[in-house]
Amino acid sequence: MKRSQPLTLAAAVLAISVGLAAAGWAASIAAKTSLQDVSEGLTCQCGCGLTVANCNHPQCEFAVPVRTRIDGMIAKGMTRPEIIAWFRTEYGEKVLSAPTTEGFNLVAWIMPFAVLIAGAAAIFFAFGRWRSRAPISPVAPGAYDPELKRRLERELRERI
Amino acid sequence: MPLIGQLALALALILAFYSIVANVLGARRGVPTLIASARHATWATCAMVTVAMGALWTSLLQSDFSLEYVSSYTSSTLPTFYKVTALWGGQQGSLLLWTWLLTGFTAIVAFQNRRRNPEIAPYALAVLAGVAIFFLLMLNFVTRPFDMLSAIPAEGQDLNPLLQNYWMAIHPPSLYTGYVSASVPFAFGAGALITGRLDDAWIRSTRRWAIFSWFFLTLGNLFGARWAYEVLGWGGYWAWDPVENAAFMPWLVMTAYLHSVMIQERKDMLKVWNLVLIGMAFALTLFGTFLTRSGVISSVHSFTASGLGPYFLTFLIVVCVLYGGLLIARFKSLRTPAEFESYLSREAAFLFNNLVLVGIAFAVFWGTLFPVLSEAVRGVKITVGPPFFDKVNAPLALALVFLMGVGPLIAWRRSSFENLRRAFAAPAALGIVAGLCAFFAGLHQWYVLSALSLAAFVLGTVMAEFRRGVSARRHMVSEPAAKAVVNLIAKNNRRYGGYIIHVGVILAFVGIVASSFFRVEVKKSVREGGSFYVGPYELVYLGLTTRETSHLESASARVEVFRAGKPIAVMNPAKLFYKRPQQPATEVAIRSTPASDLYVVLAGIDDNTGMVTFQVFLTPLVFWLWAGGLIMAFGTVIVMWPNVRERAAIAAAVRAPAGLELDAQTVPAGE
Repeated sequence: MKRSQPLTLAAAVLAISVGLAAAGWAASIAAKTSLQDVSEGLTCQCGCGLTVANCNHPQCEFAVPVRTRIDGMIAKGMTRPEIIAWFRTEYGEKVLSAPTTEGFNLVAWIMPFAVLIAGAAAIFFAFGRWRSRAPISPVAPGAYDPELKRRLERELRERI
Repeated sequence: MPLIGQLALALALILAFYSIVANVLGARRGVPTLIASARHATWATCAMVTVAMGALWTSLLQSDFSLEYVSSYTSSTLPTFYKVTALWGGQQGSLLLWTWLLTGFTAIVAFQNRRRNPEIAPYALAVLAGVAIFFLLMLNFVTRPFDMLSAIPAEGQDLNPLLQNYWMAIHPPSLYTGYVSASVPFAFGAGALITGRLDDAWIRSTRRWAIFSWFFLTLGNLFGARWAYEVLGWGGYWAWDPVENAAFMPWLVMTAYLHSVMIQERKDMLKVWNLVLIGMAFALTLFGTFLTRSGVISSVHSFTASGLGPYFLTFLIVVCVLYGGLLIARFKSLRTPAEFESYLSREAAFLFNNLVLVGIAFAVFWGTLFPVLSEAVRGVKITVGPPFFDKVNAPLALALVFLMGVGPLIAWRRSSFENLRRAFAAPAALGIVAGLCAFFAGLHQWYVLSALSLAAFVLGTVMAEFRRGVSARRHMVSEPAAKAVVNLIAKNNRRYGGYIIHVGVILAFVGIVASSFFRVEVKKSVREGGSFYVGPYELVYLGLTTRETSHLESASARVEVFRAGKPIAVMNPAKLFYKRPQQPATEVAIRSTPASDLYVVLAGIDDNTGMVTFQVFLTPLVFWLWAGGLIMAFGTVIVMWPNVRERAAIAAAVRAPAGLELDAQTVPAGE
């Protein structure tokens, strides 16, 4: 194999990922509004702590009528955002199962990635400093220490 | 019995105080007899808490309703097994269990270190005693397990029906064991900071404790998920509930710690980071308990919510301030001349692995607390539920799985392109083939395809490592392949046990992805003899059987399952009604195979029409979540298995210098 093959493989993985992401995005655009999809976006108010889709109380006074109502709204042709917005107006923000992406709630979404980026920046900064200290001394071709070879063989016997 | 228990707790508190004073004075003044005395006090503290545990268990088994705890959490008709587990069914009992584990582990640490770690051990034991004092203060003055009732009720209120399940018998003790054992490496880290002995001795002496903690945190989370799967009846196992999150965060941070310490052991780098990680892991165990007890965030698991929150919060703040202060004070001494050659190195892969793990822990922490923050800032109560955690953590999980594949194969210091080609060509090809196969098999969600490709890539790296090791062994000592595998693992248990853990993680990951994306749900009402289809299965409802005991009433449906016209199973989902807390519960029926789980819930019975409603879930590959968890546990046992070479390394790192032997018996009389 040639030296460029890892790069070819990496490019193939990247290309496949991008292709799959695009296919997934297109599929999600084409997807129709479903009861499961909408009810995942609403939190049950019966105290179970689960979404309307997953509430474990078979006769739940909140989740059961809400699911019926969502079915009716889908039948009328309402989209997911429209249905979610309707429930938000009716019950307030607490009925949503995730923070909205507006105003202060945006902080909820941004902060984890901001911290991650800050962490990555810190690592790159630290690497930069450590790298400048590291003495990189390539071993000359043919350099050979019999003592090192003996030690290597001994350790291989011990460890393998 | 209650009097004995209360007295034992009071004595334990006094002994723990003595243990701190004697350990610190003994270490500061170099008086081995005082340190030996502190060690005996540590053992006596454990003995006293054991007596208190015995007293509470005896009262529970005797249904002594004069005790408030017994009458609150048991009844005379509660099965004996659940009378035993009721010890951790309520707040006081679970705190007592925590304290017992803590003092027990402290006693073991005192024994292990009676002749080693002369500098750090006394301070570490003092820190552990300090933690025990907090819990003993709670048990003696704030939430007392032996409080008596002025009027003795004829019957108890019984245990919450959701807790009357065998997974609940083992989930809390496992999780608590994981939480509490994290105190040991934390205490040694604090001891290292106090004494200034900042080499890797504290890490080497507590490495097995850290793995032990991780092992039980893994099992605790797994058992909790299984409990939710079997008991809550919604077909899922993880809902990103605050209490679930509280158990997950220490696991993530401990995972980061176990990887990060390898860099310190190998290259003497990241001393500060490792101390920060173990401090975070310990603080998160306290935070988890705070969340469960405080009621500050509503949770489906808050069975023991109480007014203990402020005490835990204060203790948490004190711990963070003291530990943070020590870290700052020692910061200069902790800085080492670190060397780093290339981004294409194992140390870089491990650091990014740490970043992602801690990033996920932060995302979970942030999402868990955001409702409180929102209410404080905007005055609006909001919910942060599964969609938030799924969206934020899903890409991070992919990054983590990718790094799991890269870390083990990439060389320390730096890798050349030739190294990378040799190491990664086959696993990367396997990943691509797996992704293409999945795509042509009809799976078109980009996340699923990426997850499967990366999972195959990681499994490929593990297989490549085993293949390389086995062929090296067979080259050096010719032996059959199977024997070579066993010997390879036995001689390098830490490394190959780690790979086995990786395999378990990947299988669990595949199980999680498949069960999250492809679960099918069907809800159907049928009369006796009626049938309906769920995927390839036909379910026929054959009738209802009712049963009544002194403890509960139950109605159990008989459902025969057919596949391609052939009967393959009979399932019995049931509805239960507990008499004492007057509470209904669900008993789901699960038929589990490696391909999928058929999960049947008896959702409703209409006595008037004779119709019975079933809610059925068909969940693919969820079996592999549990199997992967067990493989992780198996790999962890291999990693923890005593290894002669490692024992020698620990002995060298922590050996007491001449003249500093800790055991009083070794000190000449009169000294």
